[in-house]
Amino acid sequence: MRQLALALVVALAFAALPLLTTSNYIVGVGVSALIFTVAAAALNLIYGYTGLLSFAQLGFWGVGGYASALTVVSFGGSFWWGVIWAAAINAMLAILIGFPMLRTSRHAFVIGSLTFALLATLVARDWVDLTRGPLGIPNLPPPSAFGIAFDTTAKFYWIAWAFSVAMLALLYALCSSRIGRTLIAIRQNEDLVRAQGISPTPYKLSAFTISAAVTGAAGGVYSFHLGIIDPTFLDFYYMQTFLIIVIIGGTGSFWGVLASGIVLSALPEALRFSADFRMIIYGAILVLAMFVMPGGVAGWFRDRAIARQREALG
Amino acid sequence: MNIDALYLVQLTLNGLMLGLLYALIAAGLSLIFGVMEIINFAHGELLMLGAYAMAFVLPVVGLLYWPALVAAVVGVMLAGLLIYEVLLAQLKPEEFERSILITLGLSIVLIHTMQLLFTATPRLVDTQYGFDGIEIGSIRITWTRVIGAGAAVGAFAGLYLVLHHTQFGRAMRAIAQNREAALMVGIRPRSVARNAVTLAAGLCGLAGAAISPIQLVTPYMGQFLIFKAFALVIIGGLGNIPGAIVAALVLGLIESLIGGFFEIVWQEAAVFVIMILVLFLRPDGLFKQGGMRVG
Repeated sequence: MRQLALALVVALAFAALPLLTTSNYIVGVGVSALIFTVAAAALNLIYGYTGLLSFAQLGFWGVGGYASALTVVSFGGSFWWGVIWAAAINAMLAILIGFPMLRTSRHAFVIGSLTFALLATLVARDWVDLTRGPLGIPNLPPPSAFGIAFDTTAKFYWIAWAFSVAMLALLYALCSSRIGRTLIAIRQNEDLVRAQGISPTPYKLSAFTISAAVTGAAGGVYSFHLGIIDPTFLDFYYMQTFLIIVIIGGTGSFWGVLASGIVLSALPEALRFSADFRMIIYGAILVLAMFVMPGGVAGWFRDRAIARQREALG
Repeated sequence: MNIDALYLVQLTLNGLMLGLLYALIAAGLSLIFGVMEIINFAHGELLMLGAYAMAFVLPVVGLLYWPALVAAVVGVMLAGLLIYEVLLAQLKPEEFERSILITLGLSIVLIHTMQLLFTATPRLVDTQYGFDGIEIGSIRITWTRVIGAGAAVGAFAGLYLVLHHTQFGRAMRAIAQNREAALMVGIRPRSVARNAVTLAAGLCGLAGAAISPIQLVTPYMGQFLIFKAFALVIIGGLGNIPGAIVAALVLGLIESLIGGFFEIVWQEAAVFVIMILVLFLRPDGLFKQGGMRVG
C-alpha cells in the first residue's frame, strides 16, 4: 500500500513538470522518458517476467507509430483512434506471429522475433503506396479533444503523462497478479509449471500480445510527439534503448525498470554526447552490466538485502 | 528467348556467388551454436572488420590480392580469439539470452567505433585485378568474384576435412553431439569452444575480405547480412552446418532470381518469409533428422 501511495505521489510530481519549466527541450525529453519507460515496461513483461527475449518490440513500436499516423493522415480518423488501432493491430500481429514462434525453442523465438522487426523495417521502407517510403509522413497534426488542440510540447506532455500512467498501472496490475506470478514461474521452470497443470503457451502468448499492444500504443503516441514518421522510426537504436533500460533496471523488477527508464532517457540528453559516442557508451554499458550486475540495479539491491538478512541470522 | 536464357545463367551465377557468401557466415554461426549453444550477434561485425582489414592492407602490399586476403583472415581470427577469451569464455551453456545481449553490446561498440574512426562514407576497394574478368560467351564475370567464390568453396572443403578428419575438428563435433559424454572422454569444452570461435571468425573474415572488392565497405555492411544469416541458421536447423550451407546457397539463388524478375522488396524479404514458413511447418529446421521422440 505504501509503495502505491509513493508511486501516486511520484506520478503527480511528474505531471507538474511543464509547470516547473518553460523550456520546450526539457519537456520534450520528459515526453520521451515517459513513453520509453512504457515501452521498456512492456519489454520487461515479456523478457523480464516471462523470460522470452523479444526483438519484435521494435517492430511493434514501428507498426504502432505508422498505424496511428496513417489512421489520421490516410484514413481521416482522430489521434485517439490512431492509438487504439495501433494497439489493436499489434495485438493481432502478435497472435499471428507469436503462435508459430512459441512452438519452437527459446533460441528460435529470439531470432524469429528479430526477423519480424526487420520485416517491419522493410515494409516501412519499401511499401511506398502505404507508408510513403523513405520520405515518411511529415507534419502529423496535433491531437485535439473537446475543442482543445494539444499543439505545444507542454500540452502534449499531459497526453504522454496520462497515457504512460494508464499503461504502467495496467502493467503493474498484471505483473502483481496471479498471472504475473505464473509468468515468473514459467521463466524459472517451465516443466514444473506444466507439472502443476498449467499450460504455459496461452500465458506466454497473452504476455506477448499485451506487450505488443502496449508497445504499439506507445509508438503511436511517440510518432505524434515527433510530428513525423519515416523508416528511421524503426532504427535499432530504439530497441537498444529499451533493452538497456530493462537490463540496468533489473529484469523482472517492475519498479526498477520504471526508475531506470526515467533516469536513462534523461541522462544521455543531459550529458550531450555525439550520437556515435553515445552508442559506444550504450554498448559498453550493456556488456559491462551483463558481467557486473546481471540482475540490474534492482537485482543488486535484492542481493544486498538477502546478504544482510543472512548476516543478521549469524 | 536466347537473351532470356543468358539472363537466367547470369542470374544463377550471381545467385551462387551470393549464396556462397551467406554460407560462409551461416556456417560459422552454426558452428559456434553447435559447440557453445550461443548466438554471436557480433558475427556480422567480424565480417565488417575483415572487409576493412582488406581495404587497409591492399594499398600496403601493392594491391596484391592474396597476401591481403590472408592478412585479413588472420587478423579477424585474432579478433575472434580475443572476443572469446575476454567475453564468451565467461558464459556457461544455457546462458543463451546473456550471450545475445553481450555480443549485441559488442556489435554496437564495434560499429560505432569504426564509424567514429573512419566515418560512414562507403569505401571502394581496388585490387590488382581491378574490374578485369573472364568471358564465357557473352557472360562476363570479374576475377574478384571468381576468386571469392573459389576461396569460399575451398574453405568449405577445408572445414569438412577439419571437422571429419582431425582430432581438432572431431572434438568440436563431439561437444556439439553430446556435451556430457565429450567431457567424460576427456575433451576440454573451453579449448574446443575457443577453437570453434576462432575458426568461425576466420570463415567470416574470409567472407568480408572476399566481398570487399565486390561491394562498398561501410561500418554497417555486416548488420543486414548477419540478420539474414540468423534466419538461414534457423531454416537449416540450429547447429546444423551442412543444413545452413545448403539453405544459404538456395537462398542466394532465390534472391538473385527474384531480383531479376520481381520487385526488389521481395528479394530482401524472401529469407524472412521463408523462415516464418519453415517455423510453421518444421519448427526444428528443414534438415532435422527424425530423432526419437519420447511421449
